[in-house]
Order: sequence, then C-alpha cells, then structure tokens
Amino acid sequence: MTQTAVRAGAAVALSGLRKRFGEVRAVDGIDLVISPGEVVALLGPNGAGKSTTVDMLLALSTPDGGEISVFGTSPREAVVAGRISAMLQSGALLDDATVAEAVGLVAALHREPMPVEQALRQAGIADLAGRKCTKLSGGQKQRVRFALALVCDPDLLVLDEPTVAMDVETRRAFWQQMRAYTDTDTGRTVLFATHYLDEAEEYADRVVLMRSGRIVADGSVAQVRAAVSGRTLRAVVPGAADLALPGVRSAERRGDQITLTCTDSDAAVRALLARYPHAHDIEITALGLEDAFLALTGEDDR
Amino acid sequence: MNTRFLALELRRAVRNGRYLIFTVVVPAVMFLLFVNLYGGGEGTFPNGLPVTTSLMMNMALFGVMAGPLSIGARIAVERGLGWQRQLRLTPLTGSGYLLTKGALGMLVGLPGILLVCVIGAFEGVRMDAAHWIGVLATLWLGAIPFVLLGIVIGLVATPDGMQAITGLASMLFGLLGGIWIPADVAPDWLATIMKALPTFWVKQLTQAPFVSGVNVGEALLVITLWVVGLSVIAARRYRVQS
Repeated sequence: MTQTAVRAGAAVALSGLRKRFGEVRAVDGIDLVISPGEVVALLGPNGAGKSTTVDMLLALSTPDGGEISVFGTSPREAVVAGRISAMLQSGALLDDATVAEAVGLVAALHREPMPVEQALRQAGIADLAGRKCTKLSGGQKQRVRFALALVCDPDLLVLDEPTVAMDVETRRAFWQQMRAYTDTDTGRTVLFATHYLDEAEEYADRVVLMRSGRIVADGSVAQVRAAVSGRTLRAVVPGAADLALPGVRSAERRGDQITLTCTDSDAAVRALLARYPHAHDIEITALGLEDAFLALTGEDDR
Repeated sequence: MNTRFLALELRRAVRNGRYLIFTVVVPAVMFLLFVNLYGGGEGTFPNGLPVTTSLMMNMALFGVMAGPLSIGARIAVERGLGWQRQLRLTPLTGSGYLLTKGALGMLVGLPGILLVCVIGAFEGVRMDAAHWIGVLATLWLGAIPFVLLGIVIGLVATPDGMQAITGLASMLFGLLGGIWIPADVAPDWLATIMKALPTFWVKQLTQAPFVSGVNVGEALLVITLWVVGLSVIAARRYRVQS
C-alpha cells in the first residue's frame, strides 16, 4: 500500500510538523500516522513537545510548517464536525455551573452531541450531575473533563496527561472507565500524552516516544523495548576471558559475574554455553519500557 | 447564533446573586431613594423635565451600564479559568462567542430598565405610550456601547483586577457621563470630558422628546464612534488571545 493510501483512511496524519516558540523548537519535524481504532500513547519527558503536538492537532495552535490531517480534514474542520475532541490538561471548569450544566453548555454547541446523561454515565459521574463544579475533588474534576470530551461523541479522543493530578487509586479507576469506553465501541481512536510509563505499557497498543520535539521511537510496547536492543543476559562464568559472542553488543564483567547486553540473546546464550559449558545461573531479562525510555530519552544533548 | 447556548448562558448569568443586586435591585432602590430625597412629585429641573422623570431615566441608565459590565466580568473569569480554551474545542467561533456575550449583555440590561420604569410610572411619571416605548427603546439600545465596553474589559482584565476596573469604569462613565450630576453645572473642562462619553449622549437621546436643544446628530455620532472603536478593540484583542 502506498503512503498516501494509508493516509487517506488515517485518523491522524502528521508530516513534517514543526512549531517553534522563539528559539525553542518545540516540535521539530514530526511524521506520524495513526489508524482508526488504535490506542496510542504519546510518551516523553516534560518539554518533549507532546502538548504542543496535541494543541496543533486540536487546532488550538497553528503549525509553523508541515501538514496535519484529522480524518482527512483540517484539525478545525474535524473539531467542528465533532470527530475529534480532547480532555485538556488544565481545562478548568465553570465556577458557577453544575456538572450537568457545564456538560450541557458544551453539548449545546455541538451538532450531534450525545445526551448529557449518557456522557456523564460513561465518564462515571452520573451521580454528580447536580454538583457545583467548585465542589469536586481533583479526580472528579478530571472525570467531568472526560465527560466534556465525550459529549460530542468523537471518533478520536485526545487526552493530554489525563491522570496527572490523580492518586494511584483514581488513576486506575479512570483507566478502567477509559477501557470500558474504548472496548464497547470499537473504532474509537485514542491518543494520550503521558509521562507515566506504566500507563503506556498497560493501556496503549502503540507507543510513540518523543524527545526534544522529535519522535525517537514508534511501535508496539514490545517493539519500542526491542529498539533499545532487547535483552540482558546475566550469568556466572568462572574464568571467562573472551566475551565477544554473536548477538552481544556489549559485555561487562565483575569477578565471575558477567552481564551481556544482547541484540540477539538466543544466539548469545547458545554461543556462551558452547564456549563455556560450565556457565551457570543464567538469567535473561527483557529491558523494561523504562530502560528503553531512559535509553532513548536520557542522552539529552541540550 | 446558537440560541440554546445563549439560553443556558442567560440562566447562568441571571442566577448569579451579584447580578440581581447590582443591575436590578440597586438602580431601583437608588431611584426610590432619590425621588424621596428630591421630594419628587411636581418639581421640574431647569430644562423643563419633571424631577421624577429625569431621575427615572438616570437610574435606568445606571442599570444599563451595570448589567453589561457584569457580563464582561464573566468573560475575564472564564478566560482565567481556561473555559475559553474548552469552548475552542467546539464548533463555536470567536465571533460566535463574542456575539453570544453581546446578546447576553443586552438581555441582562433589560430587567433593570423595565423595573425602574415601572416604579417611575407608580411614582407619577406620565407620558404617552409612544414616548414610553421611545424611552425604553433608547435606554435599551443605549446599552450597546456598555455591552462592548464590558466585553473589552473582560478581554483585557485579569479576573483579580476585574472588580476594580469594573468599579472604576462604572464610576467614570456614570459620574462623568452625567448620571449623577448634570453637565450644566460642571465647569467647562469637565463638561468637555462629559460630552465625550457615551453615557452623556444616551441620556441626551432619552430626554430628546421632552426638552429642547438636544443635538441628536452629534449624539448618534459620538455613540457610533464608541461602538465602532470598542468593536475593533474587542475583535483585535480576541484574535490576539486565540
């Protein structure tokens, strides 16, 4: 399939996207295609350009260069059509309205909204409908923002650091709600920016890793891990001299204990046992997403 | 314009206790207070306008200023909260937002005007039906520059500074606009300032059918200049923010 054919049906297609603030290149040439139905985590440290990318996707800011298409239209057209919607990081709520009123106001502006009660129910806050927006806990406020994002019944839901103000318990509950939402309705595309690795690992089909305005890795959680060359092999090998084995990128020795960083741990373990049959306590571990994250984002050249 | 959105916004605005007090209750109470202070009844001002009628117009005009300014205050708060950003994720356009706030300003100005005029009728203000309609319409349309002023303040001020700026604007446009003192008794330099403000000319237009010597053309010119100027500032300011 050609690149254009992929893009034609894409939920999101970014090419050469750029945005700078003064001297800072917040987003520095991003290419990204997201297909309908994908749940994608946009991962990266603070200042990586996640929020800037999200803002441009939502037509909240204009790119300096490159192209964005959301379901084949401009971001603003997608917003107007109610196809894309977002739960904003700092989106505050009206101080003089109830939860149902705030959601109702946003619903009134959309062309084909879902009923307000349904949005509240799907966000798990049906019982808070009559509550003043000022009398909510942090987690409840996030759920109201979630309902605000749901009420236009979008095909693509963008979440900008949705759980940043939540405690562990609330975070888990939020993602359960989220998963129920994407599961009941296949074809919903979700893009969420986060700097919590475990969220990306647990809820995303695909991880896009950003650093300094660029995409440094893109793939499934397993692929992104593998991008940092997969696995670590540890073993006790008395008298090991030559550790230049196939599939090994680097080796480290401390006494009899060796640590091999492998590109192909299967080949490495075979070669190791062939050369040192008495090697024991062999342990092969996958690099966590966290290792991948640190490896890919750590070498900061700023 | 989205009428459902406007209706929901209106409900929010009217429910606000401060709105009711400052834009509906205060003008009415002030009116009653002044009527009793001046003795009301049969007296007339030097320009030939009965005291009660003049006071009624002035206090209604005071309400005309207060209502729209309170809507502007809401804009500043919504900006501060980040609610505007939320609204930008809907089909609502920038001009749609400003138009809704404008319509809202016009609507919230109405109850205050009506209440003061009803009280006026009870206090003995007499004029024929056409004049009543003319006075009410002039007062209501006279709210336009203040609606725009409220929007401009809402787009410029911070939520914290809002109170002070609204209070100041209210003082400036009320006091210097001739609601509390007539321009005739002011020294020349002050009268010049007063005649540059929309308040003064809306008041003149309201009185036009009853007193002689009102320059309607000049009144419309000054008011139009304010309306155009404030509209341009509001549009620019909104564009900068979005």
